[in-house]
Amino acid sequence: MPEKEYQRLTRARSRSAFGVAFMSRSSLWLGRDHLLCVDSNGYTETYKRFYFRDIQAVILMATKRRAIWNWVLGAPTAIFLMLLLGTLSSSSDSRMAGIIAYTICGSVFAVPLLVNNIFGPSCICHLRTAVQTEELPSLDRLRRARQVLNRIRPFMVAAQGELSPGEIPARMRAAITSPDSATVAPTVSTSPPPDTDRPDAPPILS
Amino acid sequence: MSASLIQCPACQAWLLDGVFNQPQLSPCPACGVPLQVEVFPALFRRINPGQSGEPIMIEGESSCFYHPQKKAVLPCQGCGRFLCALCDCELNGQHFCPACLETGKTKGKIKSLENQRTLYDSIALSLAVYPLLIFYFTLVTAPVALFIAIRYWNAPRSIVRRTKIRYVAAIVLASAQVAGWALLIVFLATRHRT
Repeated sequence: MPEKEYQRLTRARSRSAFGVAFMSRSSLWLGRDHLLCVDSNGYTETYKRFYFRDIQAVILMATKRRAIWNWVLGAPTAIFLMLLLGTLSSSSDSRMAGIIAYTICGSVFAVPLLVNNIFGPSCICHLRTAVQTEELPSLDRLRRARQVLNRIRPFMVAAQGELSPGEIPARMRAAITSPDSATVAPTVSTSPPPDTDRPDAPPILS
Repeated sequence: MSASLIQCPACQAWLLDGVFNQPQLSPCPACGVPLQVEVFPALFRRINPGQSGEPIMIEGESSCFYHPQKKAVLPCQGCGRFLCALCDCELNGQHFCPACLETGKTKGKIKSLENQRTLYDSIALSLAVYPLLIFYFTLVTAPVALFIAIRYWNAPRSIVRRTKIRYVAAIVLASAQVAGWALLIVFLATRHRT
């Protein structure tokens, strides 16, 4: 059986808070020499490839999203739990109906609350290359992001080599002090289009 | 400021020390947001300036197809034309001329340049499933779903999804809907006649 070209790293997650409405979902896949970020709206897919040799840094930033959702989901769960306890202690005729209704209503909030906490702390993951810094929306939980980072690290080391922890600050300082080591950002030219008759002019594509 | 430095995503302050390649989250020195920053050697790699083609010094030396005055350094792996250092576009170890690169991108011949695909299998399946909510729509959408599924059967699907299960499901569902409409029309016609 031929080896699959891509292995799934993460399931599709919403690209933004309104992603559910617009069906915009993002997933991450592991290729032979690159990471593939797939953005899908259900009917088209857009691909972004991040080659291991080009990835400069992966930045994880912890967020308070899990705590916020805990409050949003926890408050109604607690209310329905209290109503359920109140119904359990009562002896009215509609006791059974109340128990069923409050259990169902409470579950609607309690299950997502449980899932939110099972997934662990939330984060935002940025991936930086020489030309862009891209957010990876599918890595929205710290545990998952670290798992993916551990999975791709051997590929990164194979493609680029490894930096020892003590080496990084020295290189950073060198980057600040030495103008030679600084990479010059590309500038936008405001000059008129190049003369096509020049012998070293790049070819013009039709 | 150097391009080898990294900014905190929250406060945009330059990160200099203490947060790199740590196993756990470390606070940003400026804003205190917990960060974990993994840096790789590519961050400190110098970007070499682009090469310009060398002029031909000896008569009879092979020249670039696009720049006859420049010395050819290698052939394009797409069309075989000789290219100078300026026209040589390297992509994953392969060398192409700008024209082949452009053609490869627009016609999808170079897979690593392909950045978008239409999922005809999902479109066909949606056309076969969603109109079932308002059944009368299926009179139009079922034949369309059937057409799309057959017409694009061999079209490239998602890079990461390989099966044709959506096409099969769309064809089965749409065929059932078309057959249902046909039976209904036949039934109504025969009933009307009798």
